[in-house]
Amino acid sequence: MTDADDRLKALFAEDEPPARDPAFSAAVMAEVIRRRFIVDMALLASVATAGGFLLWALWPSIAPALATLSQGLAPVGACLTLAAAAVVLLDRGVIPLDRRNHG
Amino acid sequence: MSPSDIDAELVEAAKAGSTSAFARLVERHQQALRAFLRRTCGDWAQADDLAQEAFLEAWSKIGRLRAGASVRAWLCGIGYNKHLTALRSRGRDRARDAAYEAERPPSSGAMTDERLTLEAALSELPADQRACVALCLAADFSHAEAADALGLPLGTVKSHVTRGRARLLEVLGGCDDGR
Repeated sequence: MTDADDRLKALFAEDEPPARDPAFSAAVMAEVIRRRFIVDMALLASVATAGGFLLWALWPSIAPALATLSQGLAPVGACLTLAAAAVVLLDRGVIPLDRRNHG
Repeated sequence: MSPSDIDAELVEAAKAGSTSAFARLVERHQQALRAFLRRTCGDWAQADDLAQEAFLEAWSKIGRLRAGASVRAWLCGIGYNKHLTALRSRGRDRARDAAYEAERPPSSGAMTDERLTLEAALSELPADQRACVALCLAADFSHAEAADALGLPLGTVKSHVTRGRARLLEVLGGCDDGR
């Protein structure tokens, strides 16, 4: 590298931004996250809309099957609810008395 | 671990959707990209806007970045294309632009006389020649790396750098003592 190149380089160095610029980086990332959020929301909205239309179109054919299935599953559902309630109650019941008083 | 290895690791994580990895890439390369755009377009505020747009485009296109490619060169290429697009849209309304330029205060605070002379000389160079000068003389890019970043043939980059350098030294009153 020659003196002329060094001189040019020194002049160019005057417009060098700082090596770390949290404000600039934060502004870029805020915009990245904002755009990502918009894309995610658009995707979710389109999936929900498509699902709604699909359900609306298929409802006449799946409604009878669902009705039959729900009647058949009702006892199982009741048993699962009772089991879940028992688990919750028993879980609370085994908490030591001192912890129950302090927490 | 070398800087390029760190970049490669961060790029892989960003490709997988990690915003924190991309934030680290922004931190690592904001200086090089902003400096390049400041030298290429001359207006610091516009350069920072273009740099931000370039990073946003990089985020959306990071999946297309080749494994092992230079992140710095890739970002400068995106920034350069943004700059060319801005130039084209500015060219559609030159009268308004000329009025704006006349009223606009200098983009950087206190510039030395020599720096102002360099800025004036740079502004007279064609956009692609200016970009080659900014990359190869100011940012230590190799000619091949600059050609890759700007999408120009290697020979064109070499001649742009030689001519641009000679023009800048002529304006600054220095002797061309090498190369």
